[in-house]
Amino acid sequence: MLLNYDRMGGLQWVLVFITVLVSLFLILPVVFIIALSFGSSQWLVFPPPGWTLRWYQEFFADPRWMAAFWTSAKIAVLVMIFTTALALITSFALVRGRFRGREILRAAFLTPMILPVVVVAVALYAFFLKIGLNGTMTGFVVAHMVLALPFAIIPISAALAGFDKSTEDAAIVCGASPWEARLRITLPSIRHGLFAAMVFSFLISWDEVIIAIFMASPSLQTMPVRIWSSLRQDLSPVIAAASSLLILLTLVLMLLAALLRKKAN
Amino acid sequence: MSDPFLSIRNLGKSFGSVRAIEDVTLEVPRGEFLTFLGPSGSGKSTTLYAIAGFLSPSQGDVHIDGRSILDLPSHKRNIGMVFQRYTLFMHLSVGENIAFPLRVRRRPAKEIDAKVDEMLALVRLEGYGDRMPAALSGGQQQRVALARALAYDPQILLMDEPLSALDKKLRDEIQFEIKRVHEQTGVTILYVTHDQEEAMRLSDRIALFNNGRIEQVGTGQQLYNEPLTRFSAAFMGNSNFIKTEVMARQGNFAAARFPDGTVVKGVPVHEQAGGGAESVLMVRPENILIETRNEGSGLPATVTNATFLGDCQLITARTSWGEDITVRSVLAPGEMGTAARGEAVRLIWPNAGSYLFL
Repeated sequence: MLLNYDRMGGLQWVLVFITVLVSLFLILPVVFIIALSFGSSQWLVFPPPGWTLRWYQEFFADPRWMAAFWTSAKIAVLVMIFTTALALITSFALVRGRFRGREILRAAFLTPMILPVVVVAVALYAFFLKIGLNGTMTGFVVAHMVLALPFAIIPISAALAGFDKSTEDAAIVCGASPWEARLRITLPSIRHGLFAAMVFSFLISWDEVIIAIFMASPSLQTMPVRIWSSLRQDLSPVIAAASSLLILLTLVLMLLAALLRKKAN
Repeated sequence: MSDPFLSIRNLGKSFGSVRAIEDVTLEVPRGEFLTFLGPSGSGKSTTLYAIAGFLSPSQGDVHIDGRSILDLPSHKRNIGMVFQRYTLFMHLSVGENIAFPLRVRRRPAKEIDAKVDEMLALVRLEGYGDRMPAALSGGQQQRVALARALAYDPQILLMDEPLSALDKKLRDEIQFEIKRVHEQTGVTILYVTHDQEEAMRLSDRIALFNNGRIEQVGTGQQLYNEPLTRFSAAFMGNSNFIKTEVMARQGNFAAARFPDGTVVKGVPVHEQAGGGAESVLMVRPENILIETRNEGSGLPATVTNATFLGDCQLITARTSWGEDITVRSVLAPGEMGTAARGEAVRLIWPNAGSYLFL
């Protein structure tokens, strides 16, 4: 190693300092929001003059917030299921398939990842306007699937590429039909990739705001959209509470994923 | 004559314009351990995969018990297979791995449990049923794979270089296990390897593959002592091929005249030796005797290199026309060597141990 941490001497402390600074920069806004959600000030004063659970009570008491919460959850779950299923089939084609244009197809499936989201949003909005999908649950799910698909294809493809096809062949020669072999042997063998795909696709839909703003109607709003529109009307600490809940679910999912990965190793 | 148990007839397979195997014909009686031996790319694995059903041959047929199996998909052929790489199902325990073929056959649970125990005992892994494959060594994994492949009493067992991923010591140990399992179960085995020692040790017969064809089929002794082709002679053990002229041919015997004028009479002749433009005399290094008295019969040569190897001495002798001949000279107890570098010697060998390839 050219840069050996143990031999850096005084430079070690510089490195530690920079690391702490960057970490703080990343974490502080989250800490700030969570602190404000428990703060007693109406005007989001920091540091909070006192502590209260009032904003959470207001959040759970407000049917509009609860509707947004359940809409978000429903869309995210549907996106998770359909994206993972579609990504699984796609990965089989991209990893196992031998056809012309396979690499081009792979690149095409990954473009939503690098395309500016607002471009995807405008394109989908224009298209959905024609076929009447804007403001519908189906529209939301399909639009989020476009964004989530690359993030589901990458872990599943990686897991499938790392799985030796001889193992599937072994199951077939043992008497399992090809479908049975895939279901009983291949799928459990790539389950970590599948799980990662599920977590990613859920989270992408869960905290997506740009496409959601285009898709939303007054009666169908996701949490991030509701946060966004409330912010523009008034600066209530309920927004901080809603944001904190959003972050909490994300954190729980990430921890769960990390735990399962640790167990797998 | 009754039908042989397994019959491979004129099997051929092309990938595009590349012929992987061509005209492979072979008959295997029930219970035989037959090895496909050959260099990599010689078609031995392709033949095995065609029998397993992982690829469909372009020509020919494969019969088991008088019926063609080519119309059957892989999973209905009732064939057992052990692969080169580890193919245990990593998310299932050792016991569940062995039970898998029985579960997909919807056998009753009681029968499955009994069979799993029987198979674990067969590969001497009693008590390992609850372990996960990741906790086993490579050798143990291949033994479980063997148990899984035999759990459903397959008609034949295919083994595709099952030991190539293991180190030498483990290989010897598992070779012994495989041999024992074969004797204990009497299953017909087709075994692929590129290691001739492994082939010799395990098999009843060996089919020697070269360039997609079977070069020669026979016991290890037959292949080693009576090679029919140059390739057989070169692949099985080490051989010297000495440039020679054939004269005074009588039936299956002829006299050989070397470039320096030395004549050896009564050498067995192989005509369909395949390849090579000129005639050669083949003789194994261990069949040559070194005669240090520089008179009498034998081929004159000069020792250019002599290496002491403990039980024998490896000698390179150069003929007067510049061809190097390898001699493996077994030493008597305490003997240091039979020849020294630079010494003029004569090389003598019995006719029975040599062949003329035309």
